[in-house]
Amino acid sequence: MTSPLALFMLAALLLLAIGLVGLISRRTLVGMLISVEMLLNGAGLSIVAAAKLTPGGLDGLGQLAAIFVMGLAAAEAALVLAMMVVVYRRFDTVATEALTTLKDAES
Amino acid sequence: MGGLLFASAVGVTPTPSFFQELAAMVLPTLGHQIMAYAAFGLYVLLIVGGGLAAALARTLVRALMGLVVTFLGVAGMYLLMASPFLAFMQLLIYIGAICVLIFFAIMLVRNTASGEEMHLPGLGQAAFAGLSAVGVLAVFGPVIVLNAGALMKDALPTETPLAELGEGLLNYYVMPFELISVILLVAMAGGAFLAYERRFKAQDEVTKP
Repeated sequence: MTSPLALFMLAALLLLAIGLVGLISRRTLVGMLISVEMLLNGAGLSIVAAAKLTPGGLDGLGQLAAIFVMGLAAAEAALVLAMMVVVYRRFDTVATEALTTLKDAES
Repeated sequence: MGGLLFASAVGVTPTPSFFQELAAMVLPTLGHQIMAYAAFGLYVLLIVGGGLAAALARTLVRALMGLVVTFLGVAGMYLLMASPFLAFMQLLIYIGAICVLIFFAIMLVRNTASGEEMHLPGLGQAAFAGLSAVGVLAVFGPVIVLNAGALMKDALPTETPLAELGEGLLNYYVMPFELISVILLVAMAGGAFLAYERRFKAQDEVTKP
């Protein structure tokens, strides 16, 4: 039987792989945001597994690092939501293929 | 068992330690391990199933529900690693805040029924996605399997007292702790600025001519 550390790390790796699949195959910004949240969750899981299951007595610090990841994810989600609102007002869609211009042509 | 009957007969409420003793008597270490692995399997199932739904569902609301299931699975993993505070934070921040934010995003951009997501991704896109996932698994999977056994500590993980977490937040991590509040403030202000500025401009343009 493989060690629990390997099992938790493999679970985090699965989250990374699934998140990558979603990030690349999604067509809209909302779908990409959902996938990014999965990537961040996998990162937090691997941080906590590395802190809790290896010797060194850094349990608390690892958990705090995961909490920082959560806080950053919250800030990122709020900012991306605002960006999506702006993009939607300007392009009338959030499909990534439509977002090809940096500046309006007439202005 | 006799102790339990005795306790209920006398009317003494059994303390948690009593139940723990009882569990230690009834369930040998092997039983605990089997239960832990069963719980782990359930959580992995939640993570993979929810994750696949979140990555591949054609409706964004369904993808969001898959994301919630994934978050629940990860919270269970935190519980298995004896960090209940993190599991609580996971439920509170991810499911309570971020999923609601994403739901707002889905509603604001009105992309559920007629949207782009209903079309399947192109062949090249899908191939690239699968290739990247397989590549990541092929690179990191063997690294984890080969190295994790030697790095693992012998003792089971124990729950870190909450006071220790608070101390770490105010000693070792005081700078990131302050910085993350700045980041949250800036994100909030930036979000409000981005969302409002265009509207005022649009009103100006409407009223000007």
